[in-house]
Amino acid sequence: MTTIRSFMTEDHRRCDDLFAEAEQAVSKGNLELALVAFGHFRSAMLAHFASEEKTLFPTFEAQTGMRQGPTQVMRMEHEQLRGLMDDAINALKTADAEEYLGQADTLVIMMQQHNMKEENMLYPMCDQHLTAELPAVLERLETELCD
Amino acid sequence: MQAMLAFENAPPFAAPLRFFLTAPLFAVLAGLLVAYEGPDIFASRWTPGALAATHLITIGFMLQVMLGALIQILPVVAGANLKRPLAVARSVHVGLSVGVLLLAAGLLSGTPTVLGSAALVLTLTVLLFLVVTIMALIDVPTTSPTIRGIKFALFSLAGVVGLGVVLALGLAYGWPLPLMALADLHAGWGLGGWAGVLLAAMAYVVVPMFQLTPGYPARASWWFPLFMLLMLLLWSLAILADWPLLARLAQLGAALAGIAFAGLTLRLQGKRRRARPDATYRYWQLGLIASIFALFLLSTVAVWPAAADIDGWSLAFGVLLVAGGFLPFITGMLYKIVPFLSWMHLQSSGQAKVPAPAMNKILSEAEMHRQMLAHAAALALLLAAIFFPVWLARPAGLAFAVANGWLWWNLACAIRRYRGHLADIEAALAARLAAQ
Repeated sequence: MTTIRSFMTEDHRRCDDLFAEAEQAVSKGNLELALVAFGHFRSAMLAHFASEEKTLFPTFEAQTGMRQGPTQVMRMEHEQLRGLMDDAINALKTADAEEYLGQADTLVIMMQQHNMKEENMLYPMCDQHLTAELPAVLERLETELCD
Repeated sequence: MQAMLAFENAPPFAAPLRFFLTAPLFAVLAGLLVAYEGPDIFASRWTPGALAATHLITIGFMLQVMLGALIQILPVVAGANLKRPLAVARSVHVGLSVGVLLLAAGLLSGTPTVLGSAALVLTLTVLLFLVVTIMALIDVPTTSPTIRGIKFALFSLAGVVGLGVVLALGLAYGWPLPLMALADLHAGWGLGGWAGVLLAAMAYVVVPMFQLTPGYPARASWWFPLFMLLMLLLWSLAILADWPLLARLAQLGAALAGIAFAGLTLRLQGKRRRARPDATYRYWQLGLIASIFALFLLSTVAVWPAAADIDGWSLAFGVLLVAGGFLPFITGMLYKIVPFLSWMHLQSSGQAKVPAPAMNKILSEAEMHRQMLAHAAALALLLAAIFFPVWLARPAGLAFAVANGWLWWNLACAIRRYRGHLADIEAALAARLAAQ
């Protein structure tokens, strides 16, 4: 059965794959290709954040009444990740592989520990509290993320 | 509600940091002890010097970092919140540091009261840590192999310390105990059940995270902690009932499980998708290969016990597994954890108004790489010193002290830069506020 946890985790892995493509391009010294690949990764991440911030989190907040809890922390981390992605893309634009790798290292760990919190705590909480809304929420997430 | 609190309860930086900054100093002390004692320390694993040096590394370095890192990471990987993390960190840190110094002094001098006080201090310290973590973990369902691994590792921590206390008191007061068989079992619980299972539990998370490798296969990840625990329980039963064959079988099982885990990790790392191998990756490769050699020596002894009497066999096992395996794994992780935590704390102190410098501005790849080469050289010298102690014992001890002093220097520089950036960020925030 599809759950919020399995569906959103799947989307995290898709973003990881796109990030890895950019890394592969950097390791081959092809910074132009890396810029394109990183652009795809960034769009996928931004779409993921948007669907969480516009669909998943508000539903969770309305259902549980927890407005200042986990979703707030996740929004803050999204903001930090947006900043890190901007820095990384600027490094690629100025063709500074060294600077990019430094930024990417921070980005990878920030992104992975953020994903871990969502996958191990927030998504299971969503699945637990949103049983009635689950089909509708999943359908909306699917349309938002699969476009 | 348990899980929700975890999001905001990341402990202050000072909680894990004190452990990370003192741990390398105990490894320096171990190296200096080897250099001071010279060739005699390599006569057997039972020399007072060898026992003291071993515990300076396993408790002073390994246990310090492991407990410090758990205080930091339990909220993130398990949603478990320790009560008053900073106060717990302070007490555990002091207890471990004092306890390991007493233990090393007690083992070196053979003074019963010193050994007894070491046993008392270390027991109370670990007990405090266990009570606090078990209270935090008790309501956490075991939803991942990592959580299972942590829980089983904590059980083994109680086992290794319990056996250690029996051994210390037995040694101090001349109790009629099978000291050698119990010491082997004590090492099994410590290196296999505690350090090994905890390492696996962390590896499930950090190997894919740092290197972008595929994840560990689920079934094997769930089985590894359970299998290791079963082997150690069987081994303990074998000692109690005096069934040497069962003890050997359990040893073999634990060694083979370790080899399988290391082999699998090597294979996963082969599929990593990061752009460039970094110091953490290289440290792990070194650790995995050295561990496989060590566990191969161990499984040979299980099948053919006479091998243990070959000169240098047990020492080579210990050096390969601890200085070649666990120290590289732990140092490799410290090289990610310390810069990342620095960045994270700088980021939050900047309040999204002042950007934080990237991790490589806190600790650069070149600094970590050079220290790693020093550690690899020290490891090679230690291994060679087992066979040529007269020539190499002192240089090996010094090299080990230098490599770990260098690790301390790298971490201390990272923290100095962190403090510098923190001051800059606070000044920038104050300037913004004044301009408004």
